[in-house]
Amino acid sequence: MTTIQQVLFELETDYMGHPYYLTGHALYTALARRVDAQARRSLNVSTGVFVPGEYGAYPESHSHDGYGGKLGMSLPPVESYEDVFVCRDAAQRWLLDSRPRDAHNTHDVQSHGGRLAFAPKAHFGRPPEHRNSKRTMHWHVHCYLHADGGDEDVLPLSVDVLDGLRVGGGRNYGFGELSLAETQVIDLDDLDYSRVREADNVQLELLSPYVLQSDSPGADSQSVPWWWESDGEFRRRTGRLVAGDECHELAMIDHGQVVGYAGDRPVETAINGIQRVGTHAKFGFGEFRVRPVSKDRVPGRVSIAGPRETVGGER
Amino acid sequence: MVDSAVEADSRDDASTRAEPMVAVYRHDVHKLRARPHASAADSYASVPVNETVPRDADRDAALLSRPAGEPEQTVANHESPYRLSLLTGETAATTERIKATTGGGFRALVTPEDPECLHARWLTSEVPAAFNESVYYPYTSLQYHVLLTAALLHNYRARHAFEDLFLVATTPDVTPNADAVSTRDPKTALAADAVEPHRTVLWTPEMTLHVTATPGDRPAARLGDVPARSFADVWSRLPAHPFDTDGERRWRLLDAQLRRIRSWSAALAYIDEFIELHGSAAGELEGDGA
Repeated sequence: MTTIQQVLFELETDYMGHPYYLTGHALYTALARRVDAQARRSLNVSTGVFVPGEYGAYPESHSHDGYGGKLGMSLPPVESYEDVFVCRDAAQRWLLDSRPRDAHNTHDVQSHGGRLAFAPKAHFGRPPEHRNSKRTMHWHVHCYLHADGGDEDVLPLSVDVLDGLRVGGGRNYGFGELSLAETQVIDLDDLDYSRVREADNVQLELLSPYVLQSDSPGADSQSVPWWWESDGEFRRRTGRLVAGDECHELAMIDHGQVVGYAGDRPVETAINGIQRVGTHAKFGFGEFRVRPVSKDRVPGRVSIAGPRETVGGER
Repeated sequence: MVDSAVEADSRDDASTRAEPMVAVYRHDVHKLRARPHASAADSYASVPVNETVPRDADRDAALLSRPAGEPEQTVANHESPYRLSLLTGETAATTERIKATTGGGFRALVTPEDPECLHARWLTSEVPAAFNESVYYPYTSLQYHVLLTAALLHNYRARHAFEDLFLVATTPDVTPNADAVSTRDPKTALAADAVEPHRTVLWTPEMTLHVTATPGDRPAARLGDVPARSFADVWSRLPAHPFDTDGERRWRLLDAQLRRIRSWSAALAYIDEFIELHGSAAGELEGDGA
């Protein structure tokens, strides 16, 4: 049995941490204080993806169709492999076109004495002449936990452990406070992998950075996996893993890139991608999604392939 | 770069009264004047305006920034030709910009007959940044819609199809040009090596973006098979990003936001505004504090 525990937090206060996502290491550190030694040893924590608390429609590949209601404020049901990833991509493709999707999905940036922070909520629909009519959108953070083999009884972590974490810069001064919105446990072995299994060709979408080198003690250097294919160079970046007073430099392949798949066991690879690969996978690095090549990840491309006379908004 | 003026075939040149690369910068004058398309005038200040852009470049540029199909009003209470800023959440129409348009200040964006001069003016003017490309989608930008339309048309006229196009991201030359770039006037743009006529769609002191079929050895990512709201995807696939995301937190912050924005004209307007507010002149304390 391979279980993951999905956790959705609501951001309560301004956040001054890593801007791409909440690092798995920050979440792990916050959780580690609240669990016993066995759990600390076996717990693996993904990155926390920022999700706008908005209404949405299930993506085309989801096992459910159409309007999804409060998609960004809840954990949608997970029956197929694709369902795991609805909120794991920064572009948040489920946001409704009938609402200002890019405004919902862009953080409001606040300055605190020159330090830039993300606001926990955003207000909409209030031009100067209608100051009273506004609505508020709350940012959420989506992550998942799993335990090393043999220690599955560590999960699920309880509401008491998950509620009220503080993460990022200024966390001892009230910044980066998370409340628990929802959590659910999923057995990866029960999911439907047919879209991956039946695809003629798949590619991999890197959802978190892949660590090539870390100067953390005991960390191995990695080469680019042999089963990744690319026409050109991968975009690389550096990063840091801060452990107490020590700061470890990382060399990474940046997330967001799409690579070809040269292996021949896509379903196993897909499960590995959820559990992550490479150095520091315990802290969220090396997450990826397997995607059939024929399925374009940009919604709207397929539907406009035919004649397209109307373009929205011309008048 | 292919010289499109020579390469272009003549079939589209007859469809507009103005030369096509001039007409493209005049095709949305009715939006600057807050008039609906249906009742748009066919001339302004004695030059032909609001002409249909050849080769469907206008439609394709629109599909880069807003959904296909029947539009819906996405922001209640803002049925207005003025753009809303993704950065501030407020209307981008400052008093100066409104004054500039009501006083005919956009004439300089319309009347020149030299296509490269028109490109340089649209690239550097703040006036069209006050307007959206559709009242239904107020976070889109008329300025970047027109620049994207011109870039597509210029490539199409050089016989490149949409699927052959790339987004190219470059870092502007180091000083002394850096000072000149920050002034962002049309003359400097015309002279700048970093600016390619019609194909440069964003020109800021920190980064320059181009839409072209001839990326050369510059960092480039394909736009895809057909136009769609794909900015976040194309940006994420660039083999190198033009600013120092490893070194400075503000660039990580901008990069993180650009991976979230799907509309092209909204994303380009966001970069423009972010760099104006948080660019090198601004300065920020470092570290993610994690």
